[in-house]
Formats: sequence, structure tokens, C-alpha cells
Amino acid sequence: MNKNFFEVKNVDFKIGNKTKVKNVTFAIENQGDVICLLGPSGIGKTTILRTIAGLEKLKKGSIILNGKTLSSENINLEPEDRNVSLAFQDNSLFPHYTIEKNISLGSERNKEKKEKKISLKEIVDLLDIFHILNKYPHEVSAGEAQRASLARSLIMQPDLLLLDEPLSNVDQSFKEEIQVRLKKILNKLKITTIIVTHDSYEAFYLGSKCGIILNQELKQFDDPYKVYHLPNSIEVVNFLNRGILIPAKVTGKNTLENWDLGTIEGNFIKEYPKGSNVQLLLQPEDLEHDDQSNLKLEVVDRKFRGTNFIYTLKTPSNTMIPVFVHSHHIHQHEVDEKFGIKRPIHIDHIVCF
Amino acid sequence: MRINFWHISSFIISLFVIIPILTVFSSFFDNTSNYYKILKDTFLMEYIFNSLILLVSVLILTFIIGTGSAYLVSFFNFPFSNFFKWALILSFAVPPYIYAYSLTAFFENYGTAYTILKNLFGEGNYNQSIPKFDGLLGVVLSISFSLYAYVYILARASFLYQSQNIIDLGKNLGFTKFKAFYSIILPAARPAIVAGLSLVAMETLAEFGAVDFFSINTLTTGIYNSWIAFDDLAFANQLSFFLLLFIFALFILENLSRRNAKYHFNTKAGFKQKQKIQLSGKKAFLAFSFCFLVFFLSFLFPLSQMMYWTIKFPENLFDLKIIDLLMNTLYLVILSSLLLIIFGLISNYGNRVNKNKTLNILSTLSISGYAIPGVILAVAFITFIAWFDDSVIKNLGFVSIKKVFIGSILGLVLVYFIRFYSLAYNGIKSGYEKINISVDESSYLLGYSKRKTFMNIHIPFLRNSLLFVGILVSLEIIRELPITLILRPFNFETFATTAYISASEDLLEAAAVPSLFLILIATFFIIVTSKYILRDNNE
Repeated sequence: MNKNFFEVKNVDFKIGNKTKVKNVTFAIENQGDVICLLGPSGIGKTTILRTIAGLEKLKKGSIILNGKTLSSENINLEPEDRNVSLAFQDNSLFPHYTIEKNISLGSERNKEKKEKKISLKEIVDLLDIFHILNKYPHEVSAGEAQRASLARSLIMQPDLLLLDEPLSNVDQSFKEEIQVRLKKILNKLKITTIIVTHDSYEAFYLGSKCGIILNQELKQFDDPYKVYHLPNSIEVVNFLNRGILIPAKVTGKNTLENWDLGTIEGNFIKEYPKGSNVQLLLQPEDLEHDDQSNLKLEVVDRKFRGTNFIYTLKTPSNTMIPVFVHSHHIHQHEVDEKFGIKRPIHIDHIVCF
Repeated sequence: MRINFWHISSFIISLFVIIPILTVFSSFFDNTSNYYKILKDTFLMEYIFNSLILLVSVLILTFIIGTGSAYLVSFFNFPFSNFFKWALILSFAVPPYIYAYSLTAFFENYGTAYTILKNLFGEGNYNQSIPKFDGLLGVVLSISFSLYAYVYILARASFLYQSQNIIDLGKNLGFTKFKAFYSIILPAARPAIVAGLSLVAMETLAEFGAVDFFSINTLTTGIYNSWIAFDDLAFANQLSFFLLLFIFALFILENLSRRNAKYHFNTKAGFKQKQKIQLSGKKAFLAFSFCFLVFFLSFLFPLSQMMYWTIKFPENLFDLKIIDLLMNTLYLVILSSLLLIIFGLISNYGNRVNKNKTLNILSTLSISGYAIPGVILAVAFITFIAWFDDSVIKNLGFVSIKKVFIGSILGLVLVYFIRFYSLAYNGIKSGYEKINISVDESSYLLGYSKRKTFMNIHIPFLRNSLLFVGILVSLEIIRELPITLILRPFNFETFATTAYISASEDLLEAAAVPSLFLILIATFFIIVTSKYILRDNNE
């Protein structure tokens, strides 16, 4: 029998009497795996973490860690007895202790049974918080407090680490570097981790699996590549906001026909009978620019995103289509100009609904 | 709902505090003596009328003094403005009844003013030209100069947290300083000022010492007299009922204002520190004069009057058993403070870990004691104990418990507890509000139990709040008069009761020594806690 390290089975996550997310089931197979939960603000991601940590009780389903039931209808292990650490999004440092004392309190947990895989100094260096060690929480910035809180949770080396938007207050310029360091440290310590975030790039980078929570449900739980390229519902497509759905007719085993774009080729993820009318997912990177093409669409907007431009094109049937173009592309197209699309159109994974 | 230890303890505290209110209400239909009929036909309207006149006059005066001085020290720099910032709260050290003694001592025939004039200009008939501040005017001045600090502290806190941005906005709209004051600054501070005035109003209606000294008949003195002079507890309770209705209206008003006042303490987004305006020349002199006059009249004047008499009549100092009075006062202060802090902590902690609506309502009920005048509390407490003893204890065949509670330290401390519980509860609560709930949760997740979280996280963090609450409660108990007077054991005196007894026997010189000691001890406590009271550091 396949035994998962951590399991959430049929749980309704609630705050008081208000259900936030219904009938959730997912698992983390191996100790040391990192998964991410993605969803819009207020959807209940934090409630899930709080319930796993034991700060909210559950009335339906069960939560099992390493073969031991933490919560179920009948069992509710107190937070202090779970060896689960939660790094809160807001500042939860003890206000009357210095940052150093705050972090070292984390290392007191599990002292006797824990082999020391990482020292305070290493963690402090990795998260770049040496300069604030002697300060009090109210004397540091929100980003620094968040990193200190992360350090406290990491040094605790819990059986399960829960991170609630761990880098939301960290400066954008520093965020990517911290993400790299965090991934390295989690890998080194082999701490099983659940990260909650609304930043899809962060989730795709840090998690080996991603869960998408929408409309009170866990809509998809899969590896990041599949979540992005093979979304299982229109809601997930809309949430990731990286493509549009256009009407198309299945014309063969590997082809579809769209009124504006003509024939589209590729590999269907799911089979559809010939002649079916479907909604085709078109992502910005699916279409290629070609000045020589005879398929020309009108430019209605152009966004510069550093490494690329995103052109919004209007089709004759008034559908707006996004297209990526590398920012070194030889010439730019202005609004109202015509923009060529390479034919034939080929999409690796054809996702239809 | 699961009933646990916190529910039970909060319920017991609330029930205990609510006993006086229930007693007053239930006694409303009891039979009264003839005194009621006599009073109803004669002086009842006068009692109500005097109480109202007193209330309105004190409110107007404390508004002018409190808001005016707070405005000056918050918005302007002038000579000694930093000194006045905290010196203006020293008036708390002088209870209205001691102010009344000073006022009389100074202006009475052949009093201190007469002596000064005689020393300056020789013998003469000065008594006729010296104004007399007695009667209703005397009471109004005594209460106002003692209590304006409530308005001063809350208005100043509100002014302090007004952002420079809104003042700049006024300038941008072309407002004059005066227009900016009454159309921007004052309305923004309105909730805080109303909260301060409500506290003044409650204290004014509860005031006993000063009104009694000037023989002004108000509802409060009426309650005391109907019990002391006519031995009519039922009628005392009926008068209390009327007074409580007044006070509940004020209590609700104060609570509503306080809730709004929170908006002015937001110092995060968009807050810009105010720059004080430097005053010079005539304006600086006027600002200084106003603040100095308030400081002089409210604190230096009564203090120097009491000092003068203590020096002039040194025999009173030696006649008084200072050590005994000090020990008695300290005994009450320590016992009551400890009890209040322990139960205040239990209730607050219970509310924090339980997050339960019923508990919240119970706690709100339990802090209503502060709104009830001491005289009512004392009389209602006696009524309740007498009823409980007659109808329950005696029926069960037990020995009477009256002596255990009436005229005993235990009874006194219990009624102090009811009266000052809201101070302790709210003081600790505001300390707790600074600890984010996720701090507790982090602690649990670090493996700390609830007990360990309380001991290792809450207590060290609340240390300053607890000290502040302890001193605030001590200050109130040192000044407290009617409860102590009614419930103290035989031959057990404090500085407050000694001063009252001497003054009521027309021995004002003898009242000076205990009054002076009371002022000095209270001043010491105020100076120690001034940092917290003024909340300069956004703590």
C-alpha cells in the first residue's frame, strides 16, 4: 500500500460556522516535498494552514501526518503537540524579545530529538538578517520581520512547515533571490512544506505540486507544468489569467478550425469527436509573430514587460487575443497597425473545454 | 456552548459587580419612611435642579480649560510648554473636596487672603472686599479645577495624533488659524473631548465631598443623608435609581464616543508628524499665562494653601498619627490593587483564549461599576448584605454575616473592587490589544502550552500595563471618600477620611495635614505614571 507522508482527506475547512473550502483531499507523498496552494485573496488558503496547525478545529474529514491523525471529527491534537510550524503572514514575533531571541526560541523545540542540520548563523546568513539580530520587532521593516519569522520556523525543523505568503512583504528586487535560498534550505533540511501564496510564479518555482483553490473548492492539484499548460477547468484558466478561450470546431484527429485564425494543429489532451464545437485555450505563447504572414490582425494595445511585449490583437469577430513577442524583435507595431501571425498555427497541447 | 473555567469566573465577577445595580432597581418599590414624603414636597426638585446646574457649569468650565490648554501644548511651542504638558495633569492629585477646603481657607473671613493683604497693607477691613467662593460657585470651581485633566488628557491625545496633512489641507483651503481650529481640529477631536466630558460628568454626579462641604443639596448628598440622617435605605435606593438613569445615559454616550475616538489613533498610512508652531512675543506670553494660570489654580494654589497651614499650625502635624494613616492607606491600596489586577488579568485572558460573545457581554457588564457613584455602591452593598443576611443566612440558621462585610476591611475592599474594576480591566485590555493574537498562536506552535504562553509571553509584555493599572487604582483609592467613609471599620482612618472629618467639624487647619500628605503621595504616583498617561510614544 502506498503510504503518504501527509494527507488531507475530505476536509471541510471552516472558520467558526462559516465554510471556506469544501471537501478537500490532497496528499504529500514524501517527506521533504514542498507543495504550494494558490488562490485569490480571502478564498480560505490561510484557513487551511491554520486548521492543519491546529488553530482551527475541523468537523469533517481528517488530517494525517506521518501516520498520526492530527485532526478528525473526534481527534484534535493541540497546536503545541503537533510539531507543525506556521510562519504567519503578518508580524507574529514576540514584541518584547529581540529578533535573535525570537529566532532562538524556535531552536528550543525538539532540542533533544533533533540532529542539528543547520545553525542559527547559517539561517541568519541565508535570509540576510544578521544586521537586525539585536533589534526589537517594532524596529525592523515588515519584510525583515517576515524573514525573521521564517527563520524562527525553519530553525525549529518541524515535521511539517506551513508558510503563509512568506515573501509578501519582501522587496520585489530581493524576492527572487530569497526564493532561491528558501528552496535550497528546504531541500537541505528535508522539511515537508506547504506554502500558501497568490503569486503563481512563486508557487510554480517553489512547489513540486500546486493546488488551485477557487469557489470553495480545490480545483486542481498537480505539478506546476500541468497546472499551467493543462488546466482542468475554465475557472483555473481564468484564475491564472494567461490565456483566453476562443470558439473552435474539431475538424480532425489533430486539427481544429477557428473562424478568425483558420486551421490550428496540435496534440489534443482529451479526445473530441470530429465536428464538436469546443472552447479552445489560447495562451500568449501559442501564437508566433510573422511579418510576412497573410493572417493580419489589428493591434489594440501593447505592453512592454522587459523581456517581451504582449500585444493585444483584435480579430474580425472582435475577440481580443494576447501574443508574446521577444523584446529584441526588430521592429515594434503601434496601436491600429496590422500584425502578422505565423501560419499554420501549431499548439503543442491543445486544451479544450 | 461549552462552559469552562473562564465563563464561570467572568460570570462570578460580573454578577458580583452587578449586585449594586440590581439592588437599587429592586428596592425601587420598597416602603420608604416619611422622609420621602417630606422631601418630595420640599427639596427633591432642588436636588435635581442643583445636580443639573452643577453638571452643566462644570462641563462648560472643564471644556474651556481642558481643551484650551491641550490645544496650546499640542500645537505650539512657547516658554515651558514641555513642562506644562505633564504639569497640567497634576491636578488629579487634588480631589475636589481638598480643593474646596483650600478655596474656603483662602477666601473666608480672616483667611489666607486676608492675612496676605494685612501683611502687605496693614490692618484694615478687607473681609468685605474679598470675594467669597462658596455655595454652588465653590463646588463648580472645586470640581472643574480637579477634573479638567480628563478632558485635557483625552483632547491632547487626539490632537497629538492629528496628522499634519489635515492641518496643511486647511491652509491649502485658505483657512485662518481660528477657522482651522473650529472647523478642522476641534471636530476631529470631538469624540475624544466628548469622552473626556462624559467622565467629568459621571464624576461630577458622583461627587460627594465637595458638595457636602459647601452644603449644596444634590442627588448624591440626598442619598447619603437619607441613609445617615433618616436611616431610610429604601429611599436612598430610590434616589440612586434616578441618579443611575442619568449616569447610564452618560455611560452610553461615553462608550459611543470612545468607539469613534479610535480612528484618531491611526498613525500608520498617510500620517505625517505635526510640526509645532513657535510662538514669540505677546502670543507666547498669552499662551504661557493661560497654562500657568490653570496650573497655578489647579495645583499650586491648593498645595501651597495646605503647606501654609501645615507650617502655621505645626501642632496638627504632631497630633496626627501619620504612620497609622499611611499604613492604613497603603494596606487598602495594596490589597485592592492586587485583587483588581489578578481578576482583571483572569478576565482578560479568559476573553482572549475563548473569543466568545457571552463572555464579552459578561465582561461589559462587569465594568459598569465605575459609572456608579461611590455613595450608591456603598449603600446598595449594605442593602444587599442586610437582605441576604435576613432572608438567606438567618433562615438557614447560620450566624449573621453582617459584621464580616459591613464595617470591615473585606467589605471595603470588595466595594472598591466593584467601583474600580473597569479601570483594571480596561487598563490590562489596552495592554493586551498590543499583542497580536498570532503571537499567542506562534507560541503554541513553538510548543508552549497556554499556561507557559501566559507566564512567558503575556506577563513580561504586560508588565508595564500592570504597573500602570496598579498605580492608577492606587491613586483612585487614596482619593476615594464616600465608600471609605461609609464602610470603613470603626477607628480605621485614611488620609481622605481624616481630612473630611476635620473639615466637617469646621477644623480646616487640621484637615490641611492629611490633605497635604494625600496630595504629595498622589503627586508622586502621577509623576511616576505620567509617561503612560500622556502616551507620547504611541505605546
